[in-house]
Amino acid sequence: MLRCERLTKSFDGVQALADIQLALPSSGIIAIIGPNGAGKTTLFNVITGILRPNFGKTFLGDKDITSLQPHLIARLGVARTFQDLRFMRQVSVSDNVMLARPNQRGENFFYALTRIGVAKEEAVNRSVCMDLIRFVGLEDKADRLAGELSYGQQKLLTLACCIATGARILLLDEPVAGVYPEMIEHILDFLLKLKVQDKLIVLVEHDLTAVRRVADQVIVMDEGHIIAEGPPVEVLARPEIMEAYVG
Amino acid sequence: MEQVLVNSIVAASVYALLSLGFGLIFSTARFFHFAHGAVYAWAAYVAFTVSALWGWPLAIGIICGIVAAAALGSACELVVYRTMRRRGASTLTLLLSGLGLYMVMQNGLSLVFGDGNKALRTWPAGEGFALAGARVTGVQIAIVIAASLLLIAVWLLLHRTGVGLRFRAVSNDQDLASAVGTHVDRSILLAFALGSALAGGAAILISLDVDMTPNMGFIGLMMAVAASIVGGIGSIPGAALGALIVAFAQQLSAWWLPSQWQDPIAFGILFVFLIIRPQGVFGQRIKKASI
Amino acid sequence: MTYLLHVATMIVIYTMLACSLNLLAGYCGLVSIAHAAFYGFGAYVGALLAIRFGCDLLVEMACVTLVVGMVALLVGWPALRILDDYFVLVTFALQAIAFGVFNNCVSLTGGPLGLPGIPPPSLLGWRVSTHLGFLGLTSLFCMITLAFSFLLVRSPIGRILVCVREDEVFAKVLGKDVVRVKISLFMISACFAAVAGVIYAHYTTFIDPTSFTINESIFVISIVIIGGAGSLSGPIVGAVILVTLPEVLRFAGLPSDIAANSRQIIYGTVIVVMMMFRPQGLLGKYRFER
Repeated sequence: MLRCERLTKSFDGVQALADIQLALPSSGIIAIIGPNGAGKTTLFNVITGILRPNFGKTFLGDKDITSLQPHLIARLGVARTFQDLRFMRQVSVSDNVMLARPNQRGENFFYALTRIGVAKEEAVNRSVCMDLIRFVGLEDKADRLAGELSYGQQKLLTLACCIATGARILLLDEPVAGVYPEMIEHILDFLLKLKVQDKLIVLVEHDLTAVRRVADQVIVMDEGHIIAEGPPVEVLARPEIMEAYVG
Repeated sequence: MEQVLVNSIVAASVYALLSLGFGLIFSTARFFHFAHGAVYAWAAYVAFTVSALWGWPLAIGIICGIVAAAALGSACELVVYRTMRRRGASTLTLLLSGLGLYMVMQNGLSLVFGDGNKALRTWPAGEGFALAGARVTGVQIAIVIAASLLLIAVWLLLHRTGVGLRFRAVSNDQDLASAVGTHVDRSILLAFALGSALAGGAAILISLDVDMTPNMGFIGLMMAVAASIVGGIGSIPGAALGALIVAFAQQLSAWWLPSQWQDPIAFGILFVFLIIRPQGVFGQRIKKASI
Repeated sequence: MTYLLHVATMIVIYTMLACSLNLLAGYCGLVSIAHAAFYGFGAYVGALLAIRFGCDLLVEMACVTLVVGMVALLVGWPALRILDDYFVLVTFALQAIAFGVFNNCVSLTGGPLGLPGIPPPSLLGWRVSTHLGFLGLTSLFCMITLAFSFLLVRSPIGRILVCVREDEVFAKVLGKDVVRVKISLFMISACFAAVAGVIYAHYTTFIDPTSFTINESIFVISIVIIGGAGSLSGPIVGAVILVTLPEVLRFAGLPSDIAANSRQIIYGTVIVVMMMFRPQGLLGKYRFER
């Protein structure tokens, strides 16, 4: 499904990605772990087209997406969240999620101005978005400005936006970091529900308990290299991995 | 052709000073200080007032002009920009306020001095003498020498003094510099004072050669921006090279097009570079918004 | 009475200019200093069509929109891929080049002496020649501009616009073609400014390059700023305030030779003060943060 071949990226002399080879299945939950600076977020940035690799390619199925613009990659069904949350603060929660809906006729100038069929499409999208907002537990905040939510709620909002795109591949950058425990459980349950819907979820996470709970596969990165790959039970038991991580 | 070269070098001397000042401000304060053009114009008119109107010696007029420029530039920083920075203003708001300051200062100048041309020169414009196949006046030679000396002096200041070292630390990385304890504010103020003084110097040098016009502030700003973008903002060789390229393009085009197209040509060069190579010849790759 | 009609007409023209700039700067976050250039292009092209061919106003509008739209596309397409701070410089260069063209293409534009003798416009047979008629005509096109903005901003495109100005990376990863939206807005704002220019040319019957300088661009920016960027009624309020203000000063006895400079100083001060203390203006939502 999503494949990386020999991805290499360096900035200012620092090697962020070194010859990364990756082949991800078409569904499931994969966790990428590693110390800070290992290159995990850079990997996401390269896959989603925000950064160009110095060398190597990314494939979605048979299609080479390496040099595609980010919005085109998103339209092919790859959605992501960011470590420093990105969303519109001055806009309501529901409008944030509405923005994420794909293929909106109203986003074409002709239809936006003539309004033909737009109201109907908006109504359909609104109900889909409300379902998602309810799914994520934010229905009583739907009309509030997104900037007014708590950190954990904002994380859920970005998650909802990510799902709303309808993408089959979700790249989540630290979905539970900095969130309080009850909310973490809620988010993890949610991710398991998504897996059942046949989506591929790739998580970057530091919280190893969370990883053990939901991940089918764990990939360990360090200094731009993948140093281990396998089921969490096996990988996380290896002492050298834990050392590289914690020590 | 020799005349084109000679004229280019004379014009470039002035542009280089303007561009360097502008670049110093940009590399520390991180935005385009449009009011730089108005500061430039004010310096010339202050010098004019002091020496031609009030009859003081030219040297005094020149000093007053440069001091006035430094003062005006510093005032922009102290009164407006610093206050805004404290409140977390974005580079766009700072840029817009600079536009506003430009309007105020430029029109203040017109208000006080009227719209006619003024001359700083009190001696008649000579024919100049022949040098390597072109005509050049003594004043023009003086301009080139003075500008070169100033460029060298600034380079020495930046690269051979403690003040300069701290200054370059700030302009290379503001986050890093504050972590080390350098006073970012002080370096920014220095940039404004020094950069504006250089603009003042440029204004006076050019006014010794040609008449001052009320529009000179806009032209000065344009040349500062054009030379900075073409050469690469914030580097001394960049300022010099950018200035030479712009001046040369202008002088060369004067062969084929009527002279009033010279300024649009400069803007055209600026435009081309902005599209093709916004970091200029010597500038570093500008990092896009980091993720 | 004629005087009041004149002031009202100018308010309406500047509302059109501010509204179109607001779409670009207030909703997209792209500040352009070239608005007067497009205003001027519209005025000159419209005037030349009227003088040389006696076209109907709608034909003039159509031609002007085409020409200006193309210029905006040619400039915008490469320019909007670069950093936004540099976009301001691109518009700065464009404005200066435009002024150079207006001032130097003497055979077309009359150069510094301008174009006199612009005939009254005829809109589908209706010859507009009275002050009241002009106010009506201007208001008609202003309504169109405002309606267009309203429809755009309240549509799903409006959501994208807000996202572009708040966090364009977020818009991109949601699949929105941000560059195409920016280029489109740049073209739209340029075309509306040009339409205002056509009306202005017919209204004043004489145009020269001094009406289309960077000072004019900055004036329109000051209207957008004081009225409030990113709001639909901001441009109207801003235009009312900043167009009537100098007239009030004139009544207060300010001699006319310093009037022009004083007005500009006021506009500049408005910009500085607003940016320092209230960048979102009176009614706006956007504080020019990026």
